[in-house]
Amino acid sequence: MAGSSHDSARRNNLILAICVAAAVACLPLVVKDVYIQNMLVLTLMYAALSQSWNILSGYCGQISLGHALYFGLGAYATLLLFTKFGVLPWFGMIAGGVIAAAVAAAVGYPCFRLKGHYFVIATIVIAEAGLLLMLNWDWAGAAMGIEVPVRGDSWAKFQFARSKLPYFYFALGLALVAWIVTWKIEDSRWGYWWRAVKDNAEAAESLGVVVFRSKMAAAAVSAFLTAVGGGFYAQFVSYIDPESVMSFQFSLLMALPAVLGGIGTLWGPAVGAAILIPITEVTRSYAGGTGKGFDLIVYGLLVMGIALGRPEGIVGAPLRARKRAKAA
Amino acid sequence: MKLNRREALAGAAALAASLGASGAYAADEIVVGAVFPMSGSTAQTGVDARNAIETALAIVNAKTDLDLPLAKDAGLTGLGGNKIKVVYADHQGDPQKGRAEAERLITQDKVTAIIGCYHSSVSATVSQTCERYAVPFMCADSSSPSLNKRGLKFFFRASAHDEMFSAAMFDLMDMLRKQGQKIETLALFHEDTIFGTDSANVQTKLAAARGYKIVADVKYRANSPSLTSEVQQLKSGNADVLMPSSYTTDGILLVRTMAELGYKPKAIIAQAAGFSEKALYDAVGDHLEGAITRGSFSLDLATKRPMVGKVNDLFKKTAGKDLNDNTSREFTAMITLADAINRAASTDGEKIRAALAATDISGDKTIMPWKRIKFDETGQNNDCDPVLLQYVGKKFVTIFPESGAIAKPLWPMKG
Repeated sequence: MAGSSHDSARRNNLILAICVAAAVACLPLVVKDVYIQNMLVLTLMYAALSQSWNILSGYCGQISLGHALYFGLGAYATLLLFTKFGVLPWFGMIAGGVIAAAVAAAVGYPCFRLKGHYFVIATIVIAEAGLLLMLNWDWAGAAMGIEVPVRGDSWAKFQFARSKLPYFYFALGLALVAWIVTWKIEDSRWGYWWRAVKDNAEAAESLGVVVFRSKMAAAAVSAFLTAVGGGFYAQFVSYIDPESVMSFQFSLLMALPAVLGGIGTLWGPAVGAAILIPITEVTRSYAGGTGKGFDLIVYGLLVMGIALGRPEGIVGAPLRARKRAKAA
Repeated sequence: MKLNRREALAGAAALAASLGASGAYAADEIVVGAVFPMSGSTAQTGVDARNAIETALAIVNAKTDLDLPLAKDAGLTGLGGNKIKVVYADHQGDPQKGRAEAERLITQDKVTAIIGCYHSSVSATVSQTCERYAVPFMCADSSSPSLNKRGLKFFFRASAHDEMFSAAMFDLMDMLRKQGQKIETLALFHEDTIFGTDSANVQTKLAAARGYKIVADVKYRANSPSLTSEVQQLKSGNADVLMPSSYTTDGILLVRTMAELGYKPKAIIAQAAGFSEKALYDAVGDHLEGAITRGSFSLDLATKRPMVGKVNDLFKKTAGKDLNDNTSREFTAMITLADAINRAASTDGEKIRAALAATDISGDKTIMPWKRIKFDETGQNNDCDPVLLQYVGKKFVTIFPESGAIAKPLWPMKG
């Protein structure tokens, strides 16, 4: 299973990732415009979120359209702990991650018995229920949301009035961590189990794979990383309300880059995010002010184009072609 | 793959740069940013806002005979007759996008001030961004009372917030009570986003303070497909006054469902929003004879102040409809901002801020039924009493306050 060509391919991937991360880390030397920096932060954040989503939905095959729940939990945990108890956001993000992982396990316990579309529907419903709870929870700001009072730059409080660079490097770090976690898992026992579960859960079980626990572990890892991303987003925007962090749209936005780039692939989410986010941002900014919806048309065309031309995703298609060539 | 990512970023950067360059303005133009929802479910509001702001610009930038600040001269006399240009950005109702757009307008387009944003949640992040860059933010049409209480130096709001709006409704009820009407019980009906929640919180407080009993407090999910059980609750409460805080589609569904279930409220006093939109009355106006809504603006003012009618005609020419609660506020916010930039005689944020803080425009120099425009230390104008309008004979008439009223309230309603 672990032949030398396999090992060297994995090593090459790791080297490539480190090179890409290093190259991206140098971008602020050239890119001084805060608007483009802002776009880079969002791109990296969505790369990280989509990578996290990919762990559960791509590798383990449990398509979740309810990841906004974990994202929102992370965002809320971070800001609530900070504004109500003075807990620094660094700890808040970790706490949010732990809570989200626990919730993912609790949600998974009944839901992983569901298959296919039924599981997808369950994730949507549970995330909507979470949104409704937050909308009605007065202590947590209910519909009014929570705002972080911004009082100057501070690393401890992770807030910066004008500079985007700290957010940029955090988002880059998070994307890299999510990538490395995926890379590590890909070749671990869990990774093989998850892919076996994805291909055929019954067959996997008959060969000794602990299917249920595999799914639970994938969900917990995925939720943890997503929630850290949520905590980051809350700090970045410095204002959250249920609609802006827990709406269904977020669940879709986390899934789209992976779907576009190649679901269940190591590079798919990053490639998808690098294409999708700049296009949506730029079209909205420069064509959105007219009120004619031009930006949405571009977005729609892009999604349609991918669906028609490369249903496997940008990374997915060539990989598969190569595999087929090898098999022949 | 490395190439892919790099290419995408480089391509995006190049596109942004080239598009950004097209946003270069003539040296003698003063650029102001406007951040509104231009796509999504509230896109129409953004398009209307654009028309309102362009109407204001047409008056500021050209010579007219209207009795408004800056109307009599072409451009800003304080800045050598330079004209104001507004660049628009779309926030899609998302606080994060609003913040990013504000930042782009400030750093790329070098706007001297920003106006917006309809959604209170977006105004919260945009005003904070403006604060960070020391650029004045003129809050045109967000009415959350918390917005001006955040210690921001660059936040200004010429129009009323929800506490003032709801206070006017209770003032009307107090007045009717004194005249002998029996008004004891209220039913609140509100959607669950920031607008409805805020509104209901204030109304609950006011009801307790002024001795009204709330017999039904019905919160519903915005854009609900059905309101049947909610309306049942309202019907069984059968309050003396029904007070809805709903956007247009929910408002239409509410009135339809009430008609289907045979519930005729004795009176409706609505927190504007859907109930000041033409679309709602086009759909279910038959059931709303005598419904009352709060508003910032009334066309009845045109009889006393002909200038209001002329401004409305100008607006109608481009927008195809009359000025309403929102567009009148957006128009007035733009004029107020232009007036301050003119007095500052500068495009410097601090100087415009100082000029805004010193604003004192008397009510008869506006299109609003206000006493004047003057900001307190939180940036809120406290002399902008709202009006109450009643839908009678297929149009709105002003019934409160008495100084601006042209008719007595029809009570109870006929609907």
